[in-house]
Amino acid sequence: MFKFALKNILFYRGRSIATFILTFISSVLLILFISMQDGSHNSMLKNSLKIYTGAIEIYHKGYRDIGGNEYLIQDTKSIMEKLAKIDAIEAFSSRYETYGLLSNGEHSAASMVAGVSPNKEMVLSSLHLALKEGKFLDENSGNSIYMGSELAKKLKLHVGDEVAFVGGASDNSFAADIFRVCGIFKTGLFEFDSSVSFLSRSYFDELMYAKNRASYINIKLKNLDDLDRVNSEIVRIINDKNLESLTWKTLMDTMVEAMEVDNIFGYISLSLFLVVIFFVIMIYDFINISSRIKEFGVLRCVGLSKKNIFALLFYEIFILSSLAVVIAAPIATCICYYYSINPIVINGIAEMYRDYGVVSDEIPFSFSIPTILWNLSIIYLLNFLSILYPYFYINSFKPIEATRHV
Amino acid sequence: MIKLQNVNKYFYRGEPREVHALCDISLTIEAGEFTLLSGPSGCGKTTLLNAIGALDGIDSGEIYLDETEIGSLDEDARTTLRLNELGFVFQAYNLVPVLSVEENIGFVMRLRGFSDEEIRRRVLEVAALLEIDNKLKSLPNTLSGGQQQRVAVARAVAAKPKIILADEPTANLDSNNSQILMNMMRELNEREGISILFASHDELIMHSVRRVITLNDGILINDHKL
Ligand SMILES: Nc1ncnc2c1ncn2[C@@H]1O[C@H](COP(=O)(O)OP(=O)(O)OP(=O)(O)O)[C@@H](O)[C@H]1O
Ligand SMILES: [Mg+2]
Repeated sequence: MFKFALKNILFYRGRSIATFILTFISSVLLILFISMQDGSHNSMLKNSLKIYTGAIEIYHKGYRDIGGNEYLIQDTKSIMEKLAKIDAIEAFSSRYETYGLLSNGEHSAASMVAGVSPNKEMVLSSLHLALKEGKFLDENSGNSIYMGSELAKKLKLHVGDEVAFVGGASDNSFAADIFRVCGIFKTGLFEFDSSVSFLSRSYFDELMYAKNRASYINIKLKNLDDLDRVNSEIVRIINDKNLESLTWKTLMDTMVEAMEVDNIFGYISLSLFLVVIFFVIMIYDFINISSRIKEFGVLRCVGLSKKNIFALLFYEIFILSSLAVVIAAPIATCICYYYSINPIVINGIAEMYRDYGVVSDEIPFSFSIPTILWNLSIIYLLNFLSILYPYFYINSFKPIEATRHV
Repeated sequence: MIKLQNVNKYFYRGEPREVHALCDISLTIEAGEFTLLSGPSGCGKTTLLNAIGALDGIDSGEIYLDETEIGSLDEDARTTLRLNELGFVFQAYNLVPVLSVEENIGFVMRLRGFSDEEIRRRVLEVAALLEIDNKLKSLPNTLSGGQQQRVAVARAVAAKPKIILADEPTANLDSNNSQILMNMMRELNEREGISILFASHDELIMHSVRRVITLNDGILINDHKL
C-alpha cells in the first residue's frame, strides 16, 4: 500500500505539488505567526516585569483594594526568613510605598514615593538600568531620591537639587523631610515616569516609622515557568490567612486580558486562513479521487477493502504532508530562532503599545520547540481531516456502480 | 461448487417500471468448468454475474459458494470473499494506471498477503502463459487493448481463485485478439483447474466453451454441455 501510495503521488503530480506547497506554506506561516504573537506578548510582559512588577508579590489582604496603613505587612522580617528557604526564588525584597507631596519652590506634584532596598532592586527590577542622569540609589544614600524623568520635569528639578516632601507615616503621623535628587530615570512608561520616585529603605523607614513594615514583598523567580508551583509553595510556607501571594498574571490582569483577546483574534484569523488552505487541499484531493472512482471501483470489486482505501489515502497524505513539514519545520524553526535573537524592528510600535509597557520597537520571536511541535501537529491533523470527505465519497458508491462511473 | 436456488432479482421493485431481471434461477457450476452465459442484450447476464460475484444483492433465493451463503454476508465479508475466492475480468480492462504490468498482476496476491517471492514467481508464470512477460515493466496505457485485457486476466488468475467471473471480456477486442484471449483462458482453465464463467453474446466464444447457459428476459431457457 505504501509503495502504491508513493506511485500515486508521483503519477498525480498536480495534486501532489499543490498539496505539498500548501502544506509547506501553511506550516511556515503558522509557526512564524504563533512565534511572533507569543514573542511580542512575552516581551511586553517581560518588559513590565523587568521594570518594576514582580513575578510574585505578597500583600496583606485588603492593601490592593482598599489601601492604607492598616493593610501594611507588619512582620516583614519573619516572612523574608521563610522565603529565603525556597529554592526556586532568585531574589526578593520588601517595598514600602506611600503617596506624598513633593515640592520645589512653587512647583509641586503628588508622587508615589517608594522605599526600596537598592542592592536587591538591582537584581529584582531594571530601575537602575533606566537611569538617565546622575546615579542610582545605594544602601547608604541617605536622603537621596531617584526620580522619574517626567516628574522631575514637572518639578523643574535636576540632579543635585533639593525637594521638599510632605506625607503620612505608617503610624498615621505626619512626615516631612527634604530630599536631594541623586538620579533621574526614564523607563518609557509614561505614567510611571511622571509619578514615581524612590528612596533607600534604610533612610525612608526611619522617616515613615516603617521598619519591618512593607506594602508588599516582591519576588523574582529563577525560572518563570515555575510560577504556579512556586506560588503555591510560598502560600504553604508562609501559611498566614491575612496575606495573599499573587502572581504577575493577577497583578497585571488587565494586560494579560488584553493579550488574551489579542491572541484570540490572532487565532481566529489564523484558523480562517488554515481552513481556506485545507479546503483547497481537500478540493485537490477530491478532484483527484473523483477521477479515480472507476479505478477504485474495480479494485474494490477485486477485493480492496475500505480499510485498504483508507490506508492508501492516509499514506498519500502522510507522505506529502510529512515531506512538506520536514522541509518547512527546520526553515521556520531557523527563522524563529534568528528573530528570537535578532528581533525585527518596526519603528513606532513602542508608541502604539505604550499602554502595555512596550518600551522598544523590537519584536522578538518566541522560540519554543513544543510550540512548533503543536503547530505542526495541527497541520498534520488538518491534512488528515482533508482526506475524510474524499474517503467517504469513494465509499458512497457501491463497487459495481463505481466501475460504471465515468 | 456454486449453487443458485430460486434466485430472483428485481430493479425498481414496486414501481410501474419494475424489471424482473432474474426469474427463479437455479443452477450449479462445478469446479473446473468453462461456461458461457449467453442471451440477448438485457437478458440479465451481468445481473447474474454480479449476484454470484457478491457485488450486488438479490431479492430472494440463495447463492452458495461452497458452503457459504453469499446473501447473508455483510459488505466487509463480501469484500473478503471476493478477494480470496473470486477473480474478476471486466469489459473495460480496468487496470491501475500508476502500477506497472507486473504490479497490476500481483495486486490481488499482494492484498491477500502472499510473499514477494511467491508473487514474483506466480506473476512470471501467468505472464508467460498469457504472453505478456516481455511487458512486465511497462505501464498499462502503453499496451494494446488485447494486451491490457490479458493483464486483467492475469490479475484475476494470479491468486488462484475458485472461479473467474468475466463479463464480456472480449467486447472491446477484435476477433483475432478475442480468439487469442479465449484460447489462453481455455488453457488456464485446463492447466490450473480454475472454473471460468463468461457472460457474452459473442458467437466466437461459443466454440471455445464446454457449457452454454442461455437466459432470456431473466429466465433460464437453456443449459447444455457441449
Ligand atoms: N442498475 C440497474 N438499475 C436498473 N435496472 C437495471 C440495472 N442493471 C440492469 N438493469 C436491468 O436489468 C435487466 C438485465 O440487465 P443486464 O445488465 O443484466 O443485461 P445483460 O444481459 O448484461 O445485457 P448486455 O448484454 O447488454 O450487457 C435489463 O432490463 C436492465 O435494464
Ligand atoms: Mg451486461
